[in-house]
Amino acid sequence: MKDFRLYDISDFVIDEDFIRWVHEQREEDNLFWNTWLQQHPDKHLVVASARRIVESIQFPQSNINEAQVEQEVSRLMNTITSQQIKREPVKETVMVTGFKWWYAAAAILLCVSGTWYFYIRDTRVQPYAYSSMVAAKQLIEHTNTSQKPLVLKLPDGSRITLGAQSRISYAHTFGSADTARNGVTRDVYLLGEAFFEVTKDPQRPFRVFANEIVTKVLGTSFTVRSFEKDTTIQVTVRTGKVSVYPQAATLASSKMSEIILTPNQQLVYERTGQKFQKVLLNNPIIIVPPAVERSLVYDDAPLDKVFGDLSKVYGINIVFDSDLLKKCTVTADLSNEPFYQKLSLICSAIDAHYELIDGQVVIESTGCK
Amino acid sequence: MNINLSKLLKLNNDTQLEALWLQRLQQNDEQALAAIMRKYYTALYNYGTRFTNDDALAKDCIQEVFISLWQRRESAAEILSPRYYLLRAVKNKVLKSLHKQTIRAGTIDDESAYDFLQEFSVEKLIIDKQMSEEQAAILRKTMAQLTKRQHELIYLKFYQHLDHAQIAGLMNLSRQSVYNLLHETIQKLRSLWQAELFNQ
Repeated sequence: MKDFRLYDISDFVIDEDFIRWVHEQREEDNLFWNTWLQQHPDKHLVVASARRIVESIQFPQSNINEAQVEQEVSRLMNTITSQQIKREPVKETVMVTGFKWWYAAAAILLCVSGTWYFYIRDTRVQPYAYSSMVAAKQLIEHTNTSQKPLVLKLPDGSRITLGAQSRISYAHTFGSADTARNGVTRDVYLLGEAFFEVTKDPQRPFRVFANEIVTKVLGTSFTVRSFEKDTTIQVTVRTGKVSVYPQAATLASSKMSEIILTPNQQLVYERTGQKFQKVLLNNPIIIVPPAVERSLVYDDAPLDKVFGDLSKVYGINIVFDSDLLKKCTVTADLSNEPFYQKLSLICSAIDAHYELIDGQVVIESTGCK
Repeated sequence: MNINLSKLLKLNNDTQLEALWLQRLQQNDEQALAAIMRKYYTALYNYGTRFTNDDALAKDCIQEVFISLWQRRESAAEILSPRYYLLRAVKNKVLKSLHKQTIRAGTIDDESAYDFLQEFSVEKLIIDKQMSEEQAAILRKTMAQLTKRQHELIYLKFYQHLDHAQIAGLMNLSRQSVYNLLHETIQKLRSLWQAELFNQ
């Protein structure tokens, strides 16, 4: 244990804990140092001077962002996979010692231009890119060039919160009485990110075309994120149910690849692999009025009731063996924790654990006595 | 003491996670290599660009460091501190490349004498700490009086958060000289800083 009473200004300035306090201002450090200073009032001046010196030592943030780091990571991954293929004929020692940086630069340049070519080619041929979907249609377009979300109201009463740098368009005839009679769908085309609150109208499904995928709903709220440069498309459901299917699917096969999403589920579509994955949100939100959550207080309650309630409150399916777990009871107040904490509490009480599989919670346990 | 315990726990988690990555790297897991790169990229890039303004060169050097880490993955578990290992490798790589460039350009130079681009951000202080232009000017002047070695030392200590033994290794100094140089530097900062600011 360090004895800070013996420290002079320089000792503080180079002390790791002290530096962390000044630089990061963490809660626990603030608590420690404020208490310490109260106990040692004579040290105020020394600490204040040391603080000033540490504060004056500032380095600018690197002008490199997360996307650039990811680019470098995939560049590395490309290099090591291509090296593995031609690894056999090359002696490893030669590779390591005889490695000249300009060779590496040349190899890397090849990789980069390779992917670049792919990228260009892909977007050119891409029939479902926003620009090709919107072309040759008489559409109304809204573009949000600002950094703040933009709220739009559609003729049918639906609301769209359009994210930064995003675009949306729809037909002139969208939602007019005339299309209602014909039972036509309400179609919008999205480039970027938007949150939709769709007015219920079972006669006219609401469809969002976002690059390769289509999200279809009757009335619900959900988010679609699909930027041209992103490698994935994400659909997240707040309330209700939506179905998602790839644009490429023919009418016959579209039923097969149609995926139903329920609240707090997110669909991630990987564009290059053309694969869907259904996942649960990191922090599921409650879909019922807040009063219901307050009633999640249990005293020796049967487990299937507790899981049933949770399932309703979050709209998330919880799978468990009710025969095996019928003897389990729970005594707990589950009104305030986040969803996964609630699950952990229950699981630790009944000596079980949970897994997230295909957008659902699966409980694994050996049962209660 | 709670505070130290929680710090220790966090530290343990970090080192445990790193040990796990290195272990997986040894077992040919490419994703472990990617994870290590993600974690340290910003720090390495920042350090690499202290020696050169050519950021494409810095990026290429970092790529090479990770490629050779991949090629030597059999012995990855021997790396005790990935941060130190990587910083050291990046520094060597960048200096070597620069050295080769100067040789090809015909100017013969001593490899041990390199530039360390000083880059203290005073602008941020003016905004965050409401420092006056006058005070900022004093600080700039103070910083300009430090030697390149002192700059590198301060950078490794306050930006990269290395310990004294690691700094000694990176700068080819003994631990005692690191300690002395550090104290000397702090004293310099302190006297100028105090004389100019506290007595105003």
